[in-house]
Amino acid sequence: MKIIFLNIWRVLQRELHMMFARPLYIFASVGVMLLSTFFFLTLMKGGTAENMPVAVVDLDQTSISRRLIHEMQATPSVDIQLITNSYPEARLAMQQGKIYGIFVIPEGFYSDLVAFKRPQMDFYVTNAYTVGGNTAYKQMLTMVNLTSGAFQREVLRKKGLTDDIIMHRIQPLAIEGHMVANPWGNYSVYLVSTILPGILGLICLMLTIFAIGFELKMRTSHAWLRAAGGNYTVAMIGKLIPYTVMYLILGVGCHLIMYRFAGFPVYGSTARLMFGMMLFIFAMEALGITFIGLLPTLRDALSIGALYSMLGFSLSGFTYPQMAMLPPVKALSYMEPLRHYYLIYVNEALMGAPVENSIPYMLALTLFMVASLCVAPRLHRALVYWNYPLK
Amino acid sequence: MSEFQYPIVKAFVSELQRIFRDPGVTVIFIVATLAYPLIYKAIYWNEQITNVPVAVVDLSDSPQSREFLHRWNAAPDIRLTHTCTSMAEAEQLLRDQKVHGIIYFPRDFARQLADPLGQAHISLYCDMSSFLYMKAIYLSCNQVMLESMRNIQIDRYEQMGVDKNFAWALVQDAPYTETALFTPTGGYGSFLIPAVLVLILHQTLFFGICMLGGTAREENEESYTFASLIGRAGACFTIYYALAAILLGFFPRLFNLPHIGSIGDVLLLIVPYILAIIFFSLCVSVFIRNRESGLVLLISSSLIFLFMAGISWPKEMIPDAWWYIACCIPYTHGAHAFIHINSMGASLAATATEYIALWILTGVYFVLACGLFYIRRKHLNTEN
Repeated sequence: MKIIFLNIWRVLQRELHMMFARPLYIFASVGVMLLSTFFFLTLMKGGTAENMPVAVVDLDQTSISRRLIHEMQATPSVDIQLITNSYPEARLAMQQGKIYGIFVIPEGFYSDLVAFKRPQMDFYVTNAYTVGGNTAYKQMLTMVNLTSGAFQREVLRKKGLTDDIIMHRIQPLAIEGHMVANPWGNYSVYLVSTILPGILGLICLMLTIFAIGFELKMRTSHAWLRAAGGNYTVAMIGKLIPYTVMYLILGVGCHLIMYRFAGFPVYGSTARLMFGMMLFIFAMEALGITFIGLLPTLRDALSIGALYSMLGFSLSGFTYPQMAMLPPVKALSYMEPLRHYYLIYVNEALMGAPVENSIPYMLALTLFMVASLCVAPRLHRALVYWNYPLK
Repeated sequence: MSEFQYPIVKAFVSELQRIFRDPGVTVIFIVATLAYPLIYKAIYWNEQITNVPVAVVDLSDSPQSREFLHRWNAAPDIRLTHTCTSMAEAEQLLRDQKVHGIIYFPRDFARQLADPLGQAHISLYCDMSSFLYMKAIYLSCNQVMLESMRNIQIDRYEQMGVDKNFAWALVQDAPYTETALFTPTGGYGSFLIPAVLVLILHQTLFFGICMLGGTAREENEESYTFASLIGRAGACFTIYYALAAILLGFFPRLFNLPHIGSIGDVLLLIVPYILAIIFFSLCVSVFIRNRESGLVLLISSSLIFLFMAGISWPKEMIPDAWWYIACCIPYTHGAHAFIHINSMGASLAATATEYIALWILTGVYFVLACGLFYIRRKHLNTEN
């Protein structure tokens, strides 16, 4: 027993030496994680999209249409970039990505309005840019309803009604929207909560493949196994300990930055969320072992690992929900550890759900670890016999 | 002349040989470039999210609330799957992710509606685990609310003795139509896949060139002559022009993604885009020591480039400092130009800003690559 610990210690020392001899390990983990965290936390000013530039096409060119434009300009969160009397000009500006919406005041607007003929206004939004287009749409909707309300208010005031009564006439029905666990509708909170752990997972996977595959490529795997007394398990444990410690520190740091420093909400248990992160890190490392075990050539395993784990960001379903995916794609999504981490995150951070809800996903992450044990004989043989192309 | 051309041709041919003899590079260049678009198309196949399950808590239990629910349930976006007797029960369903939204009618809902001075409230709870749930639930409910509200307003004005036509003019002095331009389905895939296609070209070429550079350095086959720079760029350009034409020209037409632009303009756009990526990557590849280290170190750049370009998050909402950096990456201009031309039908002349920016980047990175190659060559000479 004592000899096993001694061997683990020897492999670990050897690994630490290798880790610090090559700057790649620290750059690709700590460096990339610091940069990504800084990038994603500073990318989205305030976290909610507002003031998307729009254009107004004034085909009426009367005092009332100008007053309407004036009122629109005064509406907060509306940014009118272009006022023109030509629709093609506005459309061109949209095709150039300068504006996200066009508001058209028709010809004869004034005369129809005073004759109570209800002139029709049109608005156009681009859906080639989703967030920009949606935001512009909401802005313009608010703009129309506000101006319409202003007109009613004016008529009712002339009839001698009080503002309180007018309010209920103008809006007899109201929706109170509640955005559960993200009351500000903050896009940054929503996105960063899954993207940053995802990037950490990517690092775990790639570096695990690299750390093992590099021994094959450099033909140092015999020295590695010798340090472990020829024991595959000892060799693996000794090798992975320093990296795992580093990933766990990065994971904890990432959580602290998001949930303490940046103030992202957690409605459930921080401890269980952290535990989920730990399992996710282990699962990504295990996936790395599985890849290098199945394809014991560094470059092949890295290429496949990169392609596979990049898909995790889409397949996890945090942007485009899994319920909208085709059945085979749905099945594939369970093969991505990030999907399970995301579901634990939803349960713990957003829903404050009981532990039973997260247990299935925690078990799923554990299965990735079991899967990595299945490739052990194959990987062991590759380390001993170099029976695959080394370069 | 032939003296100058010959080494370029030689470098060109030997680079092509190195690419096709190296299975790792072939996988990245050819297989990933052609397989990834198909996978992304499969993931976003349905484009729209429909039938988002919603729970109902109707304490008013009135004809008015049932009428509202009936109309809302007709919207394709959502489906009323559960009827609950209490908020606690509905919250439980939301927590278990059986529903992604809750609609709640308070007890006094019908009474407030009947009262000519009353204001009735509906509460709507949205699951924020994906913004698309919120969009589906919120927008469709708002639509029904506005419609119902207008009917109520008309009723109330009529009760006041206001003429019906005048009441309509009061309620909605100027009605409006809304039109989503360019992509009729307005789906998530139609928006995202064009941007992803442009990114796939950028990243596979970037990683491939770094891998080739690292391999050459490992095997002491480096060559940093001007001829080798041109020859290597030429080899990558030949392969990638064809791949880019397939991905950006052919793929959207084959898979019914937005493609209202002129294919000629797309083919012209590809030229500076590919060249800019090649010289950008050659600059980076000078610093890569091993064939694998580029991929390990730079893999997360894909996400950073995607978000920094201001496609999924609008460019107007990106801090200036990040935006200036984004402008140095070929992807940013390539993606916007492709979306302008392909998805919004702009002409190449209309998207001149991005097109010229790509040529400028090509020039800048070409000069930079020449400089870096020169320094590296000197360095190697002194080493030997």
